[in-house]
Amino acid sequence: MRQLKLRGVKALSRSHTASWELGRNSNPRQSVSPKEPRILTASLRAAALSSCWKHNNEEDKVSGRLGEPDLKSEIKGTGGCLTSSSMSWAQALLLARGISRGWRGICGATVMGAPFPQVPLQAPRGLHCSAAATAAGSSDSWLAPPPPEPQKGPTKALAFHEELFQRAPEGTRDKADFVRAVQNFGQHNVHKRGHVDFIYLALRKMREFGVERDLAVYNLLLDVFPKEVFRPRSIFQRMFIHYPRQQECGVAVLEQMENHGVMPNKETEFLLLQIFGRKSYPMLKFVRMKLWFSRFKNINPFPVPRDLPRDPVDLAKLGLRHMEPNLNATVTIYQMPSSTDSTGAADPAEPHIVGIQTPDQQAALAHHNPARPVFVEGPFSLWLRNKCVYYHILRADLLPPEEREVEEIPEEWNLYYPMQLHLDYGRSGWDDYEFDVHKVEEGPVFAICMAGAHDQATLAKWIQGLQETNPALAQIPVVFRLAGSTGELLAPSSGLEEPSPPPPEGQEEEEDDQQRQHQGQS
Amino acid sequence: MALVLRFLNGAYIFRHCPKPYASCPYLGTRFADYCSSSLQKPVAASGRTSSQRKSEGDLQGHHQREVALDIASPEEKPEVSFDKAIKDEIKDHFRRLKDDIVNHWIGPEGRPLHEVLMEQAKVVWQFRGKEDLDKWVVTSDKSIGGRSEVFLKMGKNNQSALLYGTLSSEVPKDGESGRSGYCAMISRIPRGPFEKKRAYDWSQFNTLYLRVRGDGRPWMVNIREDTDIIQRKNQMYSYFMFTRGGPYWQEVKIPFSKFFFSNQGRIRDAQYQLLLDKISSIGFTLADKVDGPFFLEIDFIGVFTDPAHTEEFAYENSPELNPRLFK
Repeated sequence: MRQLKLRGVKALSRSHTASWELGRNSNPRQSVSPKEPRILTASLRAAALSSCWKHNNEEDKVSGRLGEPDLKSEIKGTGGCLTSSSMSWAQALLLARGISRGWRGICGATVMGAPFPQVPLQAPRGLHCSAAATAAGSSDSWLAPPPPEPQKGPTKALAFHEELFQRAPEGTRDKADFVRAVQNFGQHNVHKRGHVDFIYLALRKMREFGVERDLAVYNLLLDVFPKEVFRPRSIFQRMFIHYPRQQECGVAVLEQMENHGVMPNKETEFLLLQIFGRKSYPMLKFVRMKLWFSRFKNINPFPVPRDLPRDPVDLAKLGLRHMEPNLNATVTIYQMPSSTDSTGAADPAEPHIVGIQTPDQQAALAHHNPARPVFVEGPFSLWLRNKCVYYHILRADLLPPEEREVEEIPEEWNLYYPMQLHLDYGRSGWDDYEFDVHKVEEGPVFAICMAGAHDQATLAKWIQGLQETNPALAQIPVVFRLAGSTGELLAPSSGLEEPSPPPPEGQEEEEDDQQRQHQGQS
Repeated sequence: MALVLRFLNGAYIFRHCPKPYASCPYLGTRFADYCSSSLQKPVAASGRTSSQRKSEGDLQGHHQREVALDIASPEEKPEVSFDKAIKDEIKDHFRRLKDDIVNHWIGPEGRPLHEVLMEQAKVVWQFRGKEDLDKWVVTSDKSIGGRSEVFLKMGKNNQSALLYGTLSSEVPKDGESGRSGYCAMISRIPRGPFEKKRAYDWSQFNTLYLRVRGDGRPWMVNIREDTDIIQRKNQMYSYFMFTRGGPYWQEVKIPFSKFFFSNQGRIRDAQYQLLLDKISSIGFTLADKVDGPFFLEIDFIGVFTDPAHTEEFAYENSPELNPRLFK
């Protein structure tokens, strides 16, 4: 019934002048005499509406359910009779026919809210054919129940206009298809019946078509609303929520925009103004979105671009730069993915290896005591927007306190020009901004890398690549601690997730390799 | 607006939580402050930061690795007798009351006044042992029927806390939830003797300091004030915390002037600054609509005074949205 009422409302709004001049006949079956000229013009106009509608329906019947675009444009020309003052000869013919038949139907339509052309015999068929295709699903009281919708694909019940979105089941659905579907709704259905449900459906379908972040598509969707109809005209209408269902729908569109981080623009504002007026909830939400989006636009100190690179090497470089705060760091690509086919899938035998290291880390590695091993740990996860990449690190354990080297302070040989000056600038007890806590101390990290595969062979290649810039690494035993990504750095005591044979083997292998390399080089 | 949520039905009052606490005193303070209520689905509640309600006694903080233990079966068997437990509890409360009175004479919170006044940096929560984990409650959208999981455990070498889990934004099919997918870690409200609610007083400080190590996901920090008043039940102040990811520790400094006000999960038009004298709890929420595993390692949480930060409040009210404030 709600559908009926909506249609009735829209029918009312569309034929506003017509019904007004017909005197809003309360008795639907009472015929209005066509003698009075005022009523005659009104009925002419109403009949023109009905004829256009009928024309549309017949065209629909002829061309099939959804019609081809070129036929649609034809209909558009004739459908414009609503707003255009002049009418073509075909319309005049239909008009003459309609006048003789249409009185009762019109009166009935304005009060009962049914679509206009009920009396013409072909019209119910045409109406229902198009109804099955477009809007009027619920049965009117005096019409035959509509034929069951032909279920083409899935067996579950389709939403009303879902077939509009099923035009291109083959291939990828893209923006053009979506736009076409939305426009088809408008063309099909001049009075925009069922637009609320259609908009909800379109919002649900946006993700499939990949247009959920496209502002133009949202504006197009807002354009589906009939304009000027839902604007409140008096203070009482402004006080109460005028057309609540439509306002809710408008808010839902804006809410989906907000969820996907789309900033509305002036066109959206104008559309909302036209549709709902300034004192409506969608307009209020728009103002709030403008305010808060602009406030929170740049609060991320580590911004990640919205369009992440597809190439895994570029993604790895982006991720490594994202993680490393030191801008002096150098990114090195140790191995490019070998295959170059169009799908971009890396050959599993040769995944990409990209590493990063800062000069400080290089120096620290050079000073590292070769007696202590360094560990390759990983993989740890890093999220860049909605993509997760994994990285490994090369780190060493913290030196126990007794082995930490103490900086030797050379003796001052001149007190007038001291080499070290420690002036305590703290004024008193209130100048202490340090936290009274032992910060977590961990061993130094020497390098980070991102590789296509997480196995020991790939990481061994990384280590070999690192050895070119860090020759000291040749002497240092490397232990591989590759775990599943539980997320945290492994504790040195409980860390060895892999069973003990591999690490010593790895160690031995590394040492052997290093010795061999040593021999090779020397 | 980033935390637009659905309307929280306020019928579920979280004060039910202390009642079972009082009624099962054998789970006294020596065992840890757990409520014995299990996971409950609150009435018509959904959304992301609705987990900021500390109503849930559904503690997902685990002592052991991946096994969800029921609280009533910790490592020791509860062999204590009921009477003895009650007596212990009463003695404990009286002891705390005595401490409280004595401390009042020494100074605020038992520290001498000059020390408190001149303090510029204070560590509020640190994670150095299991008892530090007990001060936090972990929730996720499992309470509304979602599929996210979240666990809290001690990190490497007992030096940090690790909050990890999986986020899933699959909407629960209960006919009323539109969105789902959130995980949160909330601190417990500090309690005095006889479970009287206390609050933190941070009025001397102006910045929140966190030392964390994340995985690149954006988190939300929520601060709640005293929520006994029914109008304040769902109000909180929030701001975003962006983690960098990577193996390095990250220092996050959020001045309190940046926190925006929200009620029932929606940013309000009338904004006022966060007043620091009665802070109940702080919480971290993850709800960034990306499914997948996550982790956050926290070293400690502190507050300090940033002398360079002079801003009082970052958001001005707009006359368009709130004309009443400008009359």
